[in-house]
Amino acid sequence: MREALWAELLKVRRSRLPWITALAFTVAALVCGMFMFILADPARARALGLLGGKAQLSGASADWPGYLALLAQAVAVGGLGVYGLIAIWLFGREFSDHTATDLLALPTSRTAVVAAKFTVAALWALALAVLLAGLGLLIGALLGLPAWSTPAVLNGLARILGAAALAALTTTPLALAASAGRGYLAAVGVLFGVIFVSQIIAALGYGSVFPWSIPGLYAGIAGAGQDPPGPLGLLLVVITGAAGAVSTAVWWNRADHTR
Amino acid sequence: MHPEPPLPDGASADPAAMAVIAHPRRGETSPAIEITRLSKRFGDVRAVDDVTLRVPAGQIYALLGLNGAGKTTLIRMLLGMITSTAGTVRVLGADVTGGDRSAWARVGYLVETAAAYPELTVRENLEVVRRLRRLPGDVGDIIDRLALAPYAERRARTLSLGNLQRLALARALLHAPDLLILDEPVNGLDPAGVAEIRALLAGLIHRHGTTVLLSSHLLAEVDRLATRIGILHHGRLVGEHDADQFDRHRRRHLRLATRDDHAARTVLIAHGYHPQSATPAGLLLTDPRALAAPEQVATVLVHGGVPPTDLHLHEEDLEAFFLRTVGPSEQVTLTAGPGTQPAEGTGDA
Repeated sequence: MREALWAELLKVRRSRLPWITALAFTVAALVCGMFMFILADPARARALGLLGGKAQLSGASADWPGYLALLAQAVAVGGLGVYGLIAIWLFGREFSDHTATDLLALPTSRTAVVAAKFTVAALWALALAVLLAGLGLLIGALLGLPAWSTPAVLNGLARILGAAALAALTTTPLALAASAGRGYLAAVGVLFGVIFVSQIIAALGYGSVFPWSIPGLYAGIAGAGQDPPGPLGLLLVVITGAAGAVSTAVWWNRADHTR
Repeated sequence: MHPEPPLPDGASADPAAMAVIAHPRRGETSPAIEITRLSKRFGDVRAVDDVTLRVPAGQIYALLGLNGAGKTTLIRMLLGMITSTAGTVRVLGADVTGGDRSAWARVGYLVETAAAYPELTVRENLEVVRRLRRLPGDVGDIIDRLALAPYAERRARTLSLGNLQRLALARALLHAPDLLILDEPVNGLDPAGVAEIRALLAGLIHRHGTTVLLSSHLLAEVDRLATRIGILHHGRLVGEHDADQFDRHRRRHLRLATRDDHAARTVLIAHGYHPQSATPAGLLLTDPRALAAPEQVATVLVHGGVPPTDLHLHEEDLEAFFLRTVGPSEQVTLTAGPGTQPAEGTGDA
C-alpha cells in the first residue's frame, strides 16, 4: 500500500482542496471565537454592532470549557460536510477525471488503492481537527477566556478529536456513493441528504441510533439535558465506518468498470 | 498534410514488414491472449457474444468494429475490469476470469480516453504510475522516448489532445510490457499525431517483439499496422484474417472505359471474357485471367477496334471489405481513418 499512499499524498499536495478545507476550519474556529467574544460581554458586542438588539444567547458559556465544547460541536456538524467532501473528492475525482481505469490493472491491487485513499482521508481529518484545536487554544488565549484548568482543557481537546473521528467514520459510505455514482454529483446529493435527514432524526429524538446524528450528540449539540450517545451509538458509527470502507473496497474489486 | 515522421531505429510501418519483424518472445510458448467462448450481457443486451480468439506472442492483432460492436467491453474483460457472463480469459498465462492478477506487471494498456491527473505535471503523472507499478529508476527515459521532454514540467491540464495521448502511451509503455492492449489508440488525433503513434508502435514492436492487441474503427490504421485482423460485429467475432493473406479475401475487378462500350462488350465476349456493366458507364471484368493479365485485355480491345480510354485494376480496401462483411446497412456509422478515401460500392465486383 506504500506506493498507493505515496501517489494519493502527491495528488492531495497538488490539489487546492487541503487549503480550502483548512480555510473552512479556520473560519469555524474564528466564528466560535467571535461567539465567545460576544458572550463574554453582550453589551460591548451590541455597541460594536456584532449583536442584534433582539438576540438571545444561551447554551454556552464564555470560558475555556464552553469554547472547546463549541469547537467540538463545530467539528461534529461541519466535519460531516467537510470530511464528506474530502471522501467524495478522493474517490469521485478518479471517475470525473477518467483516471480510475488506470488504477484497475496494476501490480498494486485495487484494495491497496482504496485503503490508501481512506488512510489519506483519515490523516486529512486528523490534521484538520488538530488545526481546529490549535487555533482554539490560540484564539482562547487571545480572548483571555477564564476557567482554565488543564484537565478541563484536555477533556475539551479530546472531545474535539473524538467528534472529528466520529464524523470522519460516518463519511466512508460517501466514498462508495462517489465510486458507484462514478463522480461527484451523486455523492454530493447523498451528502446533502444525510445532513438533512440527520437533523430531522435528531429533532425527532432518535439521533442516538442514527449514525450521522451521533457525532453531534457526542459533542453535546443537544445541550446539557441530553444524554451523550451510549456504547450502542458509538458502535453504530464504527460499524457504519467499517461497512462503508469494506463495501467501497468490494465495489472497486467486483463492480463492472464500464467507464 | 503533415509529413510522416521518421520511424525510430529504422522500424517500418509497412504491414508486410511488420509481419516479418513481429516475433514471439524467447521461451514464450502459450498464446499471449486466450479468449474462450467469452460472453457478456448487460440485462438483455449481449455486448460480447461467444467470442473465441487467440493472439500468439509477437502478433499485432487488430479488433475492428463499429461503435458499439463490443470492442471496449471485450478489452475491459481482458483487463479484468468487467466480469464475464460466460467463458474464460487468459492473459500471458494468467486466468483473468479466475481473478489472477499476476499478468498486470507485464501488461500495458490504454482504454478509450487518454486521461491524466490534471493538476500533476507530466513527470508526476508518470511517477505515480512508476510507483504503482513498483518500478525502480525514474521516468526520464520514457519522457525522452515519447518526446515529452518539452512538456515534462507542465501540468497535464495544459496539454493538447495529442500530447495527452502520448502521455497515456508513455504510461502504458513505462514498464516495457510484453503485451500492449490499446483501445482506440489514435482516437481524436490529427494525421500527424496518428502517424507519430503508428511509428512509435512500430518501433516498439521492432525492438521488443511486444504483442499488441488494438481496437479501432479507423480502418486505415488497422490496415497499416495489424498482422491479423478480427472483425467484431454486434458482439460476435464474425471473421479473422491474417494481414498477409488478406489479399486472397479482397475482391478485385478490372474497370475499363471505351468510346463504345457495346462494341467492347462484344469483342470481350468473343474472346471468352464475361464483362458486366459498370455504373455510370464502362465495363467491369472479374475473370481471373483478366485480373492476372490486364494488358491482354487492352490488346484484345485494341485489335478489336475499341481501344480502352481508361483501364485500372481496383482492389477492395479494408473499409470496403469490412462493410461487405458486416453488411451494407451498417455503412452510415463507419468512420474512415484520416486520409482514407470513401469506400467504393460493395456490389460492383
